[in-house]
Amino acid sequence: MKIDRRCFLSLVVGGAVGTTLTPVPWKLTDDIAIWTQNWPWTPVPEDGPNKYVKSVCTQCPGGCGIVARTIKNRAIKIEGQPDHPVNNGSLCPKAISATQHLYGPSRIQEPMKRAGERGQGKWEKISWDEAIATVSEKLAELRTKGKPHEVACISDTDKGSVAYLLDRFLRAYGSPNFIRTPTSLDAQELSLYLSCGQQGSIGYDLKNADFILSFGCALMDGCDAAGQIMSAYAGFDQKVQLVQIEPRLSDTAGRASKWIAAKPGTEGILALGLGHVIVRENLYNKDFVNNFSAGFEDWQDESGTAHPGYRSMVKDYSPDKVAELTGLSSQAIESLARSFVRARRPIAVSGYNSTGSGSLDQALAIFALNALAGNIRKPGGITFVGEPDYLSWTEMKIDKTASAGNQQPRVDNAGSGSYPHARYLLNQLPRVIKDAKADAPVQALLVAGANPLYTMTDNKAAAEAFDRIPFIVSFSAFMDETAKHADLLLPHPHFLECYQDVPTPAGLPETVIGLSRPVVKTSYDVRHTGDVVIQIAKSFGGFIENAFPWKDYEDFLQKSLSEKWKTLEKKGYWTEATPQDTTWSEAFRTPSGKFEFLPRAKFAGTGSAKGQALVFDNLSLPGDAKELPLILIPYTSARIAHGPVANTPFMTKTVDAGVIRKNDVFVEINPRTAEEYGLSQGDRATLKTPAGQARVRVNLFEGVMPGLVAMPAGLGRTGFSEYIAGKGVNVYSLIPGVEDPGSGLNTAWGARASLAKA
Amino acid sequence: MTQQPQHTKTKRYGMVIDLDKCTGCGACMVACYAENNVPFKQDETDKLLSLNWLRVMKIDNGKQFPETEICYIPMPCMQCDGEHMQGHSPCVSVCPAVATDYDYPTGIVSQIYTRCFGCRYCMAACPYHARKFNWWDPKWPADMKNYLNPDVSARMRGVVEKCSFCFHRYQKARDKAYVEGRKELGEQDYQTACAQACPAGAITFGDLKNPDHQVYRLSRDKNAFRLLERLNTNPKVYYTSTKDWVHRSADNYLEGESPEQVRKARKAAATH
Amino acid sequence: MSTQTDNQTASAGNRSSGWVIFVFFLIGFVASIISGWVAFPKLLYSTKQQPIDFNHRVHVEQMGGQCDSCHYFRKDGSFAGAPTLEECISCHSYPMSDDPNEMKFIEEYVNQEKEVPWLIYAQQPPCVFFSHAAHVKGADMQCQTCHGDIGSSTSLRQYQENRITGYSRDIWGHSMLRLGEPDHGGRHQKMNDCAECHLKQTGSKGNCFQCHK
Repeated sequence: MKIDRRCFLSLVVGGAVGTTLTPVPWKLTDDIAIWTQNWPWTPVPEDGPNKYVKSVCTQCPGGCGIVARTIKNRAIKIEGQPDHPVNNGSLCPKAISATQHLYGPSRIQEPMKRAGERGQGKWEKISWDEAIATVSEKLAELRTKGKPHEVACISDTDKGSVAYLLDRFLRAYGSPNFIRTPTSLDAQELSLYLSCGQQGSIGYDLKNADFILSFGCALMDGCDAAGQIMSAYAGFDQKVQLVQIEPRLSDTAGRASKWIAAKPGTEGILALGLGHVIVRENLYNKDFVNNFSAGFEDWQDESGTAHPGYRSMVKDYSPDKVAELTGLSSQAIESLARSFVRARRPIAVSGYNSTGSGSLDQALAIFALNALAGNIRKPGGITFVGEPDYLSWTEMKIDKTASAGNQQPRVDNAGSGSYPHARYLLNQLPRVIKDAKADAPVQALLVAGANPLYTMTDNKAAAEAFDRIPFIVSFSAFMDETAKHADLLLPHPHFLECYQDVPTPAGLPETVIGLSRPVVKTSYDVRHTGDVVIQIAKSFGGFIENAFPWKDYEDFLQKSLSEKWKTLEKKGYWTEATPQDTTWSEAFRTPSGKFEFLPRAKFAGTGSAKGQALVFDNLSLPGDAKELPLILIPYTSARIAHGPVANTPFMTKTVDAGVIRKNDVFVEINPRTAEEYGLSQGDRATLKTPAGQARVRVNLFEGVMPGLVAMPAGLGRTGFSEYIAGKGVNVYSLIPGVEDPGSGLNTAWGARASLAKA
Repeated sequence: MTQQPQHTKTKRYGMVIDLDKCTGCGACMVACYAENNVPFKQDETDKLLSLNWLRVMKIDNGKQFPETEICYIPMPCMQCDGEHMQGHSPCVSVCPAVATDYDYPTGIVSQIYTRCFGCRYCMAACPYHARKFNWWDPKWPADMKNYLNPDVSARMRGVVEKCSFCFHRYQKARDKAYVEGRKELGEQDYQTACAQACPAGAITFGDLKNPDHQVYRLSRDKNAFRLLERLNTNPKVYYTSTKDWVHRSADNYLEGESPEQVRKARKAAATH
Repeated sequence: MSTQTDNQTASAGNRSSGWVIFVFFLIGFVASIISGWVAFPKLLYSTKQQPIDFNHRVHVEQMGGQCDSCHYFRKDGSFAGAPTLEECISCHSYPMSDDPNEMKFIEEYVNQEKEVPWLIYAQQPPCVFFSHAAHVKGADMQCQTCHGDIGSSTSLRQYQENRITGYSRDIWGHSMLRLGEPDHGGRHQKMNDCAECHLKQTGSKGNCFQCHK
């Protein structure tokens, strides 16, 4: 017997034949096919019982009710709460994608202190005990020096429990400098206070109105009341007229029944022009104007000085003159005035926009239209919603140092002789600090919820001022622009991880208090700002500690909300029935007891003749009109968050290709303007303003008024994460502030600019 | 194709989007991405590479300032029925892997990621650019994997994905109906994430064959139209607009042709 | 197989005879059959022990004879699957017997608040959506039809995991070639198995989205 190669081959053939009769080839083929479909590096999210937790979004003051879907301590998705009295199920993209911020790389996960130079991004982890001790020591040192008033706090809100705790701490400690960041409603809230004597906000009953005259409000362009406005808009039928006055075809203008492209900055003049037509044609509500208003006709004060009334003031604003200033036709102005005042339930809205709050006089002029229509405290009209008084407080005792500190003038000049009515003037702080000869008047700054180094106009000046403040503490949940320049980070939890009360959102015609509550347990070493403030106060001991008799923030919240807590825990919100009292006799708390067209409180003390009427010289923006022939206006979008908290990656994903490409932002210009400056679609250009310059690309859009350069707000972030930062330019950094002489507020609605091909 | 059985109780799930109402806010897109585990990248500005199941396109009427008008068109997968309404959708008919098929009971066009091998024929075939290709593996930085929805598989590089009309919501609604002993789904039981999220109430979703559903009436409105209707793809996404220029931009017309006229001619041809 | 080279280099007397070649063929054949049917399954599947040997029969008796006392449907129609520790604790916060398995459960899981890492025999791949509600509620199917009479078992059988795919052996089916498997009640849940049954019961194999996500 010989064994040779043939035997071996036979063995192999036998093996091969045999193998085909075994499962080996078939099973292997199948298993390998299945294996190729296994992607072990692709996440497989764990399933489990679904829970739906009702809460409130606190990313902006809008107060929208949300339902968070959770699985095993994972927040999966945010949806609108269908029965919520604020938003009725409507949400903006920022709320829907909130889980991206919750779990994203922008979160600050534990307390940290600065390790390198300011803004260098080097941090050292520290314990909470050390963090709180650091703050207490620094503050105690200032107090011992008798300078407690050199501590300031910047907050994004002055309503609700955290703001109250911060303010209470400052007052117990001895500083009057609690400063709220500006909002686009500042001027109208001031106008409400002066003309109606009401501290609070204007409620707009959009759901029942049939004619909405919006003076450039970003109603559907990402304003802070998106939820309530969109839910009202969803219910609009064909009969509701929405008229948008704006120089750019925004999304609001695009959906309005009528778009009126008035020149930017002329809104107040247009309002007076409309008033002129209404008065001239005797179309105003006689009952209201004759019986419940003051200052409509010329009047004399006790000393016998004559004051012009609204009637004589609007005489100067004839349709022809207004047409020339606004760029509209006089017929358009007349017909708009008639259709507004003849509507059954007309509302004139100001604020809610991208260009700041505007001047006080402009707000008064627009508010006067509501008075002419007499649609105040009526369904489908405007109401007054008072400051929230739902938190009950225990009185506190303070020492001499504290009361001396509290009596110091505010560092931001609010409430001073020049600006007696303004409550907060953050816009003035950079200049005050810059002008200080010796040490900066703010030696320690606490920043909670706000992100002033991003949101303030001309934020370069703000950054320079902040550089002179030796100690900055940020309570931000995210590594935002301000946190990056802080010395100490005391991270607040994400809103889906903690309790917080939500005061009635501005614009809502009724009182609705919401409760934001933990949807998931946090996995980071973060603490609620409320807790931290209480702990700092306790570390002082003595009367400051006594002013904070609560165990922690939750204890404080429960005790303060007392019987409302149960309702809030159960329902997620608490409402107060809309006051049925629609009479006018008790409505106004002004010196005259009536609605004041030209508020006496405003003009008291300003002796000049000019101070007797509303003035609109804010057309003159700083800069040379020859060198800077164009005007830059910011615009907002629901897809780009322009507030303290940046976009989520999902929001950035939705932004059009004509808004941003790679890291370049597009500015919108009219094709005619483009032609004039030799620019074509997609060109790179240099945009210059008195505040600085930026590289941009141009997008030709017929919907923007010739001569304007429109730039989206909310871009050009430097903080947060690489998914958010570095895209485009922060438009507010290009806009120099313009101070409203009437209020001290920043009233810059744009900036002079030039655009040259790069 | 194999002969499909006749389903007696088939549905035709479809959508009607009111373009006069849509404000372009983007809530639908974001809700869709969050619901369907759609990935994201640092740079999403190249829209050809941007994965999205729902896009909102912006168009204008081309007129000079201030006569300009704009309109936003949300575009999910159109869930084409194909010519003769037999599931012969453009993408389904070209897929060599049977990774996409037409679901007869619902009329929804599927996409099976584990089956897809990434040839992208379907993308070429789709006239609506509804399909997107995963050029990269998705990344969820930090703890972002935590928010992923277990009802929808995460995808990987090399496969095509598209809008599913939130089919998993249909499955969940049916599960709930089974447990509650119901045979039929109510209109509100099954809604897509975008329809649910639309804060303007512009998106209506339901069974186009069911007279009790709102979409039945809305899709038959005189102002209703579909995109590229003349390709006979028979999309189940309808749009309504009162503006003629919007109708006109939804398809290609010769000079002198009007959308109204073409629609009438098509109707007449269909009845013959 | 013979070639010209063979003829040229080897004389006829040197060649192995036909039966030798056949013997080698047989050796190859038998060896591959044995390795394919005996060794291959052992190589392909790794055997894993369940963390605790669970007695279904005792639990069925105690819980009222119904599977859905523990494996229940949630209100939203989803199927809860294996009970969580929290659900087990509702009875087992303290030992109910001196059974060593229960002692182990209480010591290692209840006391340490750790979920039991049960190995799920019928676990489908993550890309699959399986509706228990459609089968159990909609089509009135019995649990045993797919899972076998697990309810009367007193201990858990071994879990076998496919080394290539990572899936439970119950998915492909216990038998290597599917040549009938009376001993395990026909447990196999691959796509074709679903399609076959669906075709029989509903007249359609179903469409992709019916089961895939």
